[in-house]
Amino acid sequence: MSNAILTSRGLRKSYLSGDRRIEVLQGVNLAVAAGESVSIRGESGSGKSTLLNLLAGLDAPDAGTLEWAGAPAHADRRALFLGMVFQAFYLIPEIDALANVLMASRIVRSPGAAERARAADLLARVGLAERAAHLPAQLSGGERQRVAVARALMNSPKLLLADEPTGNLDEHTGDAVIALLLDLCRETGTALVLVTHNVAHAQKTNRQLFLREGVLADVRGSGFKVQG
Amino acid sequence: MPWYLYLALKQLFPSGRKFPFFTAISVLGVALGVMILIVATSVMGGFGQKIREMTVDTQGDVQVRAEGLIENPAALQAQLAAIPGVVATTPFAEGPVAVIFERKPQFPGMQGIDVNRVAGVVPIDRYIQHGSLADLDDDSIILGSQLALALGARVGDKVEVYSPLAFEKLKGNEVMLPRALRVVGYFEFGHQALDSSVVLVPLRAMQDLYGLGGAVHGINLKIAPGLDPDAMAAGINAAFPRAAHLHARSWIEINQDFLFVLQFERNMMFFLLMFIVVVAAFSVTSSLLIAVVRKTREIGLLGALGGKPRQVAACFCFQGFFIGVTGTAVGFALGFGVLAARDDIIGLFMKLTQSEAALVRFYQFRHLPRYSDPAYMIAIIVCAIVISTLAGLLPAWRAAKLKPVEALHSE
Repeated sequence: MSNAILTSRGLRKSYLSGDRRIEVLQGVNLAVAAGESVSIRGESGSGKSTLLNLLAGLDAPDAGTLEWAGAPAHADRRALFLGMVFQAFYLIPEIDALANVLMASRIVRSPGAAERARAADLLARVGLAERAAHLPAQLSGGERQRVAVARALMNSPKLLLADEPTGNLDEHTGDAVIALLLDLCRETGTALVLVTHNVAHAQKTNRQLFLREGVLADVRGSGFKVQG
Repeated sequence: MPWYLYLALKQLFPSGRKFPFFTAISVLGVALGVMILIVATSVMGGFGQKIREMTVDTQGDVQVRAEGLIENPAALQAQLAAIPGVVATTPFAEGPVAVIFERKPQFPGMQGIDVNRVAGVVPIDRYIQHGSLADLDDDSIILGSQLALALGARVGDKVEVYSPLAFEKLKGNEVMLPRALRVVGYFEFGHQALDSSVVLVPLRAMQDLYGLGGAVHGINLKIAPGLDPDAMAAGINAAFPRAAHLHARSWIEINQDFLFVLQFERNMMFFLLMFIVVVAAFSVTSSLLIAVVRKTREIGLLGALGGKPRQVAACFCFQGFFIGVTGTAVGFALGFGVLAARDDIIGLFMKLTQSEAALVRFYQFRHLPRYSDPAYMIAIIVCAIVISTLAGLLPAWRAAKLKPVEALHSE
């Protein structure tokens, strides 16, 4: 894929569990194009989160290579290259919603008027313009996740990695968050890798993948095609 | 503002909270330690200052002695007075005597002073409680207040004074009768050792009692304000030939052992009280460590957002530094507040415990002295801030050590 935003080749990861070594990922190959949305499903413990951590550069693979926009992935590029959304939101409780969104920018550089305007705009786009001055404790679960989505998009990333973003939300709120996530990615041309258990949410992405026995497979109709 | 300082301030002063309780407790811990340090070192410094003043007031700035007696004190005084920086001179003779009143003996040191010149060098008048130097003649004596109490002698009573010269006379089968001296006053330096073991007589009376003729034991000098007594003593020693067998010493050199003890006592108190700040710093460490554990996932998130371990460490280190700076500032305000109200506090304490008489009797003060040595104040500021900042290091190190991927998925 020539315009690949994310390319992984032969990613392997294993863990020691007692005396036993568990091979969680056994050579994951994945290519995500700019603006493409990809979902990854899999059984609990199949290694979805492990894979997402590797793709985000938060963890190092035992073997394999990872490229972001054609260049080797490096932690120093992460802040500007990708955004992340987590199941547990991870908002900073001492600061309000607007400051939480701005935090992503603040880590890269001191925010100016343009960044503040963008953060406010993002909050408005996730439907929380009126809640900008509220602390996370004053927001509902769905609202918190929407703030997290806005934060993930703050630095205009090329890629957004979402790790079960609806896991802590009720079905209705979860649907709304996924719709918002997909809409925003489509609008901004951001590629999305969505890890989810929810089939309906997965079906809304451009491509559905399934992680089984440490290998990614493409879900097409009733069968699987191993990604190569 | 860098994000780690911004976040540190937000963790210290969370948005939406009117009163940052946890921060206030940590700041108060450091502040109390600093306050106690300031009060204790300032009061100790005040006592030290008083004792130094009293020492200079009784001995002069520089003392010149010969190997034996100074046979011609007037000539030497004239030579000394000609040295630049010497303001005044006064001769003295001294030695132990036995003082007996109504069969009660005491064995003080007797100081023979030149009544006409002594005030130019040492302000003894300031310490005389009853009577004055002008009342002193060849047949009178001024007693230390505690000695007078021990003897039971009052103004107007006559005490008998025996000199060691009497033993010399006995060798030649001569009997030297005691000298009867009338008590004309008491002095009180506020120092137990001086007030209980010194008596003052005119120089001529002392010369008679010790058989000195016109000789004296030494000459006390007053030097111009601002001059260094040690340097002046060294200058005087250099001005006289070795053959003169004269030796000038400053009051600092004469009392160096005592001054060392005073300084040592003060340093020890500073050292021991600094542990209060150390204990407060441990509570800062403890609360920051709890914060690190509580915020493990947030720390993981900061790493995931691109924050570097050293920046995460700086966030917690800064909190320790901030608590140290604020605690020190509050401690200074409290400390100087307590010092300003020290006499009222002592007054209230004495009223509550009905101990005013005891306090005055044993400690000779109604007003607590105070001297806040700038060197100590700077040491307190530096130590409190450094210790508090160090208190943030362990939590900072733990936070920096957390790997984002593990922190994000911690339970």
